[in-house]
Amino acid sequence: MNALTRWFHQLGSPPTFDRFAARWSRVFYVAAVPVLLIGLWQGLFVVPAEQKQLDAFRILYIHVPSAWMSLFVFALMALYSAIALIWRIKICEILAMACAPMGAGFTLITLLTGSIWGKGTWGTWWDWDPRMTSELVLLFLYLGVIGLYHAIEDRRSAARAAGLLAIVGVSLLPVIRYSVDWWGGLHQRQSINMFGDNAVRGQLIAPLWWMVVATKLWFAGSLLAKARADNLAREAGKAWVAERFATGPAGEIPR
Amino acid sequence: MTHLPYLIGAFSVFVLVLVADALGSWLRLRNARQLALRRQERLRARDTAPATAPLATELSR
Repeated sequence: MNALTRWFHQLGSPPTFDRFAARWSRVFYVAAVPVLLIGLWQGLFVVPAEQKQLDAFRILYIHVPSAWMSLFVFALMALYSAIALIWRIKICEILAMACAPMGAGFTLITLLTGSIWGKGTWGTWWDWDPRMTSELVLLFLYLGVIGLYHAIEDRRSAARAAGLLAIVGVSLLPVIRYSVDWWGGLHQRQSINMFGDNAVRGQLIAPLWWMVVATKLWFAGSLLAKARADNLAREAGKAWVAERFATGPAGEIPR
Repeated sequence: MTHLPYLIGAFSVFVLVLVADALGSWLRLRNARQLALRRQERLRARDTAPATAPLATELSR
């Protein structure tokens, strides 16, 4: 077994994961803050106003990365759930369920900022357009996964049931992605491509990439912190937790 | 800057959700740590408690 495979196997063990998550969640959060600040500063104050939308287009610097994250996080949650269901890896169950709150958060940001942007440019807060409606259904799916996970008392059964919902729900992602091409509607077609040509001027793109990286880093920090909390709650009676939480003379709780 | 109220509203939503998420993660972690610590203390107390319970008497009745 090579070193990388062994490391992955070790990471599946709760104590190793706890040490890993404790260190890296902080690293990701700390790395996200300056990247986020650069993205926000550039998006709000450096790039010039767009010709047609004027300053309202600046909302897209938070709307677009959040929309991408809402889809990416759901796909990741379904992937972790599939691994957990097939190979019964407990850490993957925990990671899948830790994806849901931040995924719901990104979906909420997408819907609210899209609504605010729509009011400024289209003159309406909401329209039952295919893209907007399917994104709203995605939010309900996230809430369904979170609700199902907390409705069943046994943690492993709960994670399996909620994971199954996530796997079924992943079929919504292509619908959201291609809804504008299939059914049209008020929402504009994709104007920014990660690997292809962009309809947006190059000068206006840079803050978007900063925000894309920042949201990814923030999510990684959030995912590891939540997974660590769930892992500790499940393993509370185990010997490794006793060693990890051996109190000092002042009764201080180690981090 | 045009559309200022919309910009303030949208960026506030973004920051609020991110801060709420970070705060939620921190609270969950703190709660899990405290629960784990209390459970470990209970287990330690049970292990070190003197065996004074009249178990034998109960069984002999």
